Amino acid sequence: MSASASSELQHLKAMNFFERLFGRRSSAQTAKQRLQLVLVHDRAEIPPGVLALIKDDIIAVISRRVNIDREHVVVNVTHEDKMSKLLVDIPLLRNADGQAAGRARGEAQRPNRRTTSPSS
Amino acid sequence: MEEKVITVTSGKGGVGKTTTTANIGSALALLGKKVVVLDGDIGLRNLDIVMGLENRIVYDIVDYVEGRCRLRQALIRDKRAPELYLLPTAQTRDKSAINPGQMVQVCDELRKEFDYIIIDSPAGIEQGFQNALAPADRVLVVTNPEVSSVRDADRVIGLVEAQQKGPVQLIINRLIAARVKKQEMLSTQDIMDVLSTEIIGIVPEDEAILSSSNRGTPVVFNGKSPAAIAYRDIARRLIGEDVPLVQPQPTSWWQKLFGRTE
Repeated sequence: MSASASSELQHLKAMNFFERLFGRRSSAQTAKQRLQLVLVHDRAEIPPGVLALIKDDIIAVISRRVNIDREHVVVNVTHEDKMSKLLVDIPLLRNADGQAAGRARGEAQRPNRRTTSPSS
Repeated sequence: MEEKVITVTSGKGGVGKTTTTANIGSALALLGKKVVVLDGDIGLRNLDIVMGLENRIVYDIVDYVEGRCRLRQALIRDKRAPELYLLPTAQTRDKSAINPGQMVQVCDELRKEFDYIIIDSPAGIEQGFQNALAPADRVLVVTNPEVSSVRDADRVIGLVEAQQKGPVQLIINRLIAARVKKQEMLSTQDIMDVLSTEIIGIVPEDEAILSSSNRGTPVVFNGKSPAAIAYRDIARRLIGEDVPLVQPQPTSWWQKLFGRTE
């Protein structure tokens, strides 16, 4: 489900690896990466700043019902096959009763109280 | 439908739309096609000076649209090719002098007589761009291997697709192979990955371009300069020939040593 988001992350990790190996990354690579990120926002017509506001709104709404890890909420726009998607990743916090916490989306370990992401 | 009206656009200014229009139009004419190149940039006339025809303008497209002349009177014949014409724009008017409907009308008139109508779009995405896009059967988006022009190209491609004007193809202009090799410049592959749009030509950075516009002679008219070859290849692809894309290679030391300067 978050294939694109996680591949993006892996891409970043790979870049860091090469950076460590060869010193600075090439400016062409940086250009490509910056373009890919900015175009995702351009195409979805959601400026990065608005995304931050959406994130705040989502946190406010979800946390009215469930205990979430506010620090690690991720809201991202991705673009695949000419379709823009809003990907939201909301980690759930451990409950007072000690049940294991899952994530709000994906295979949450509390299926009875699972929230779904807009992208699924 | 036959793809007669080809609009050359880019979003960003200064990436080489006018040079591209002049050279592709001239190259198509040298291939025996009957071609008119049309300046779409009202108020900032430039295709005439790049083509070297600036001293021959009497009437322009706005004169025709407003009924002061016949279309034939506004067309300037370029004698360097069998059938090449320029339809100049007005220098002292602005974009609102012509609307998209009138542009379609002018092109419908030209379609009767010409094999190809190549429109040099103004920069930007305002009315001048909409005018240039309205009659298009095919759109060529010019970009440089540089972040701002690639970003603008993406925006323009989106607008063109939203209006269902197609096909859209990309021309990568002013590529410097040596800098791509050193990873100082976006490569063709990088731009393809980012824009996912078909590429119809890669034009290398070429000193001959500046001297050709200095003289008012598009490079395709004389010479074997790398840009001239690239533009001729694009023209052949436009008429349906199967010409493989060639990645520009860095010039070797002996090419530099014996290379000619213009």
